[in-house]
Amino acid sequence: MSRTWRPIWLIAAREVRTRLLAKASIISTAIVLVLIVGGMVAASIISANDSPDVTQVALTGETTVLAPALQAAAAGAGLTLETSEVAPDAAEASVLDGDLDAYLRGDPTSPAVSLEGAPDPTLLAAITTAVQQYALSDAITALGGDPTQVGRDLAAAVPTVNVLSDPSGAEFDPVAFSVAMATSALLLFTLLQCGSLIAMGVVEEKVSRVVEILLATIRPSQLMAGKILGIGIVGLIQVGLFAGAAAATAAFSGLLDGVDLNLGSALLWLLVWFLLGFAIYAVLFGGFAALVSRQEDIGAVTTPMIFTMMAPFYLGIYLVPNSPDGTLTKILSQIPFFSPFMMPVRQAFGAAQGWEVALSIALCLALVPLLVWLAGRVYSRAVLNTGGRMKLTDALRR
Amino acid sequence: MCGVPTLEIDHLNKSYGSLRALKDMTFDVRSGEIFGFVGSNGSGKTTTMRIVLGVLHSDGGEVRWKGAKLDLDARRRVGYMPEERGLYPKMKVGEQLIYLARLHGMNAADARTSMEHWTEVLGVAARRADDVQRLSLGNQQRVQLAAALIHDPAILVLDEPFSGLDPLAVDVMSGVLRERAAAGVPVVFSSHQLDLVERLCDRVGIVRGGEMVAIGTIDELRTTDTSRWKVVTPSAPPGWASTVPGTRVVRADGVTTVLELTDHTPDAEQRILRAALAYPPVREFVQVRPSLTDLFRHVVSAGDAADEAHASNQAAA
Repeated sequence: MSRTWRPIWLIAAREVRTRLLAKASIISTAIVLVLIVGGMVAASIISANDSPDVTQVALTGETTVLAPALQAAAAGAGLTLETSEVAPDAAEASVLDGDLDAYLRGDPTSPAVSLEGAPDPTLLAAITTAVQQYALSDAITALGGDPTQVGRDLAAAVPTVNVLSDPSGAEFDPVAFSVAMATSALLLFTLLQCGSLIAMGVVEEKVSRVVEILLATIRPSQLMAGKILGIGIVGLIQVGLFAGAAAATAAFSGLLDGVDLNLGSALLWLLVWFLLGFAIYAVLFGGFAALVSRQEDIGAVTTPMIFTMMAPFYLGIYLVPNSPDGTLTKILSQIPFFSPFMMPVRQAFGAAQGWEVALSIALCLALVPLLVWLAGRVYSRAVLNTGGRMKLTDALRR
Repeated sequence: MCGVPTLEIDHLNKSYGSLRALKDMTFDVRSGEIFGFVGSNGSGKTTTMRIVLGVLHSDGGEVRWKGAKLDLDARRRVGYMPEERGLYPKMKVGEQLIYLARLHGMNAADARTSMEHWTEVLGVAARRADDVQRLSLGNQQRVQLAAALIHDPAILVLDEPFSGLDPLAVDVMSGVLRERAAAGVPVVFSSHQLDLVERLCDRVGIVRGGEMVAIGTIDELRTTDTSRWKVVTPSAPPGWASTVPGTRVVRADGVTTVLELTDHTPDAEQRILRAALAYPPVREFVQVRPSLTDLFRHVVSAGDAADEAHASNQAAA
């Protein structure tokens, strides 16, 4: 057992050390981290700007009595409102300057409101409510009632809201969409990067001929397993770093405040689909890369692989959000090469049944040994073949 | 022979499509012996070595060490220098040697000690912290040899270890091979530098077209059926040698005469010397033996002639 595993671990450890300490990989990881954190901070600043800042309302003479009612109405409408008393002649100029949002004068039961440009309906509604409130308490007082008591009763008289929604979640959900996008993009980015690292590593060993020394000591399967394991660990560290940075930024910037999202489970599923996607794609990258003998030819092998990843990725981000439980989506999301990109999106939309997820995972797991066998066969036959590109059929036949 | 640990290459066969690369390749190398493997390009030397190392699979035949099939575990104890040199170009010399030693099963501490030892012996100690690609080709070659020796191998298989080395490096390399052989390691190496092979090897095998066509010690190979002697007599008149009994003149050009003994009685050559001494001075009197280069040319050209005859027969049929 240890004779089989010891070389694999040694090879994996070398891969991890080489890849993690490589300048290029440190720089690219840092850039992606900056993009993730920066992008999310920018998003949170933009969304913070959406929430209205303090609304300034000026009152004069008799309208000052409206102040408490205005505050209450504004609070009810979700506005932050400040009132101030100004001299009538200066007020209109301030409105035009933008220092004031509104200016109320005249009779408090029917005041004249001055604003600049199109009136903000929320502000107008708040002012109307305040004026009506004032008029109402005026009338109650005139009738000998207690306006405070009436106000309290009014406040208590609210309906209980019961929001009904389709449990399958077929409605478009922007939060689910964002999470699905982030997951898919991260998955694609990491799988592509790991895939090309593996392919480059295999060809590098072939080009430098070091593979002949290595294969005099260890089996081809051990060499490939160690390489894939090592680069898998590197990829996992990267996914963890990116996802962790995204989650931490989201938590600190308050981007997810008031959003119903189970971050822990989203991260866990990201991990699961990364591992499955990696197992499926990485093995093939490793096996097929052995077919070429020069770094320049590597594209001939990786390009078809990249396309086999782009297709499910685009289906995942375009098809699935539009029909998370359509028949086509259901079928495609069970096919192993598609499922790592499509199933997480369905899950984010809450459209995947438990058994569907379990089945797609089982199908992926069942395919992996077959792919390992196929890639191992191609690899061990092609890796010592130098001079030009070996045809896949030749590698499989002999 | 059972007592001496022996590397046995036993009837290896290998074909690439219609090309027969090896035809019953057979030889053995005893512990402590340096075996020179010579033959023209494409004669099957590299193929044989790759099969010994398990990098290539043979179509038939077996490689044994101490009587047992050389399997993966035993191969881990072989030091190998492939014809196409190979190291990670962007890995540091020291780190790389330690890594290779550990892949061969050494623990970390032994691997480091061994790396320090061999980089010292091979004169690349100062370059331990440099990436391999920054070394000159000669120094990369030394590191490559260190990679073959790093795990204290029980068997050494080196494909063209001397190609591209300067004379000093050749001396270092020869010294290491002798020292390893003296420590009881069977050493097999291929080379086109036949003078070097002649000087270094206990036994030599000449291959042609995937077959072992001559094998033995240098002395055995140089021994011929005929006995020829060279005499250098600057003052002798032309034709002086034609009257020596029991001999015939093979060649006479100027002061040098080559005679072949036709009479195989002991000390027959002394008659030549006595005849020569009649015309002093005698500057040289020596038995003419073919050099390895002569043998190699002879074997290879004989093969070519046979191949041509075979090909024309086939064409006629």
